[in-house]
Amino acid sequence: MKKRFLVSLASLLLVSGLLLAGCNSAKTSEGSGKVTLTFGTSQSGIPRTGIMQTMAKEYEQETGVKIDFQVVPDAQWRDLIKVKLASGEAPDIFNVDVDPLSMPANVRPEENAIDLTNEEFAGRMSEEILPTVSHNDKVYGVSFAPSKIWYVYYNKRIFNELGIEPPTTYAEFKAISEKIKAQDIIPFYQAPASGWYQVLPLFETGPNYEHTTPGTYEKLNNNEMKVADLTQLKTVIEQLKEFADLGYFGKDFLSNTVEAGIEAFGQEKAAMLLRVPGTEKEVSEAYPEMEDNMGFFVMPWGDNQTIGVNPGGSAAMFGNKNSKHPEEVLKFFRWITEHDNLQRVFDGGEGNLTICWPEIEPKLTQDYIDYEKNHEKGTVMQAAVKYIDPQWMDIGKDISGMFAGAMTPDQILQNIDKRRAEQAKVLKDEAWQ
Amino acid sequence: MNANKIYPWYFSSGAIVLYLLFIVAPALLGIYYSFTDWNSYSSEKNFVGLEHFRTILAGDPTYLLFIKNTVLFTLVTSIAKTVLGLFLALLLVSGVKAANLHRMIIFSPQVLSFLIIGLVFKSLLDPNNGFVNVTLRSLGLDFLAQNWLGSLTWAMPSIMAVDTWKGMGYIMVLFIAGLLAIPRDYYEAASIDGAGFWQKLFKITLPMLMPTITIATVLNITYGLRVFDAVYVLTNGGPGNATDVINTAVYSSFAKGYWGLGSALSTILFVIMAIISFFIIRLMNRKVEF
Repeated sequence: MKKRFLVSLASLLLVSGLLLAGCNSAKTSEGSGKVTLTFGTSQSGIPRTGIMQTMAKEYEQETGVKIDFQVVPDAQWRDLIKVKLASGEAPDIFNVDVDPLSMPANVRPEENAIDLTNEEFAGRMSEEILPTVSHNDKVYGVSFAPSKIWYVYYNKRIFNELGIEPPTTYAEFKAISEKIKAQDIIPFYQAPASGWYQVLPLFETGPNYEHTTPGTYEKLNNNEMKVADLTQLKTVIEQLKEFADLGYFGKDFLSNTVEAGIEAFGQEKAAMLLRVPGTEKEVSEAYPEMEDNMGFFVMPWGDNQTIGVNPGGSAAMFGNKNSKHPEEVLKFFRWITEHDNLQRVFDGGEGNLTICWPEIEPKLTQDYIDYEKNHEKGTVMQAAVKYIDPQWMDIGKDISGMFAGAMTPDQILQNIDKRRAEQAKVLKDEAWQ
Repeated sequence: MNANKIYPWYFSSGAIVLYLLFIVAPALLGIYYSFTDWNSYSSEKNFVGLEHFRTILAGDPTYLLFIKNTVLFTLVTSIAKTVLGLFLALLLVSGVKAANLHRMIIFSPQVLSFLIIGLVFKSLLDPNNGFVNVTLRSLGLDFLAQNWLGSLTWAMPSIMAVDTWKGMGYIMVLFIAGLLAIPRDYYEAASIDGAGFWQKLFKITLPMLMPTITIATVLNITYGLRVFDAVYVLTNGGPGNATDVINTAVYSSFAKGYWGLGSALSTILFVIMAIISFFIIRLMNRKVEF
């Protein structure tokens, strides 16, 4: 009797569970009339201020269409989105870091992205950004990113107290770092735990390689030279290692994350930090005493004095061609790119001073305008040389390995060449045949 | 075939179909893909023969490092979990107070996801603000404070230690069950004959526990060879590739879109596991005789 009762109870629970599951799925399905669009992105793909999420809630109130954000750590998203796209499980809207060279391979837009060429908003994006979100003369992505420049931000008070000036050569960089370290302050905040940050000095200073030896980018793209032959790049890697060994990144810096950089810089534990324009706003909002206490200079690794400009490099939104709700995706894109909403995205972001929509007034301060006037500019290596950007995270691991003593600069360069050859082979690049 | 012989097949056919469909077929497909250049950049799948296997086993020393790390991790954690699990089991069946409470506490990490454990230990082992180093420094033991997950010397031992901590509770429960199944008569007879603790351990307990030790060893080894989450969450294979194992390389290959290569790595792992498991079972599954 007891056994029969238990079996009956178990059956009842099972059937109830199935019914409830059915009811639950009915609520979220199209049958209820409410559409949910999934939006997959890396952490840095959308503003950390949460403005996109706030606007998405308003959009839901206006239209009934919910945007469900799935935010994944940066280090995982690059790989994850490729697998999701290939397995047909990509979100309705997905962010991918774009540049003209790797976007077609990473997104395979003809198979995976909704064609936005004929949308009114596609014609309003800046000419500079369009090649990074286009393929075969068709526009596939929507970006809010500015052309990206990474500067070294420094603490003016610390510099003034130590009587030091922003460096223009590596030797000066090293000398001021030594003085800062002597005060028990971390000279330069490095963040290998995030996987990508430590790679920036190698390729953001790419214009310097091109400036020193014109034609370098072309030769690399035509497989007429190896990355291992790029002596200036090797110098930069060796200098990074020297900084690590001299303690200029701090003790046990291998566990540092990019996210914690603002805190270290804002609390004056670190005197220098590699960031993009707008950092002043983000730091001073969290640490008001830092207002007007921040200056910047171009990164002097390898005696570089050229500003590296990345026309893409940041996330762009793509609509999933295989989404069940392509029309809703397009409607959301049209809404978010309305002039007033673009302004809100710009104003509500972390503090970017430009946006790739000419109709939105940039907020560049005179400091930046003057600085850019006095320095040459060039395109960063990852946006101009093939098969660098797709292996960014691998290079990051190699550099961490070098910091820990497991690899040499030469091995890092050889690995870069090896991975370039692998990808060229997969993509059947004629220059590598 | 008579009705009695058909009868069990009739009942198990559903399970067999599901097993073939969801276990055997994907495994065979995976092996097939390991001989192709299947990748995320093209819809073509060309047969490339043993090319991926050559790359892994002879072409690139990095892959050999991953295999070496996997084997090392498996050996160390298997031995540590077995020895500690057995020690704890002997302790808890010897009449220690609050044995059930201790058993529950030691077993509890087993029910937690490694994602949670990994995040907790990442925080505990943080070289600057982590509990472990802060405690060591506060005790004046600065020289013992290490960059646990960031140094070449300590990263792998740290992962092994965390994994052993998580898994030893499960092995302990297996051993407790095995110990409780040994008839008390043997111990009573041994005591009458004047046998001491060590003699009882080596002459009665361990031989009688051999089936459990076999199960525990196979479980530990197959888990160790398949390890992914512990490494991925704690170090992501770093620093450099110092703690990468076969499965993080599989993940990385699939993530990069090199699916043929990833399948080849999985196939190699499958073969290693099959061979090791076969020999362990053959070696350890002997009949216990007195």
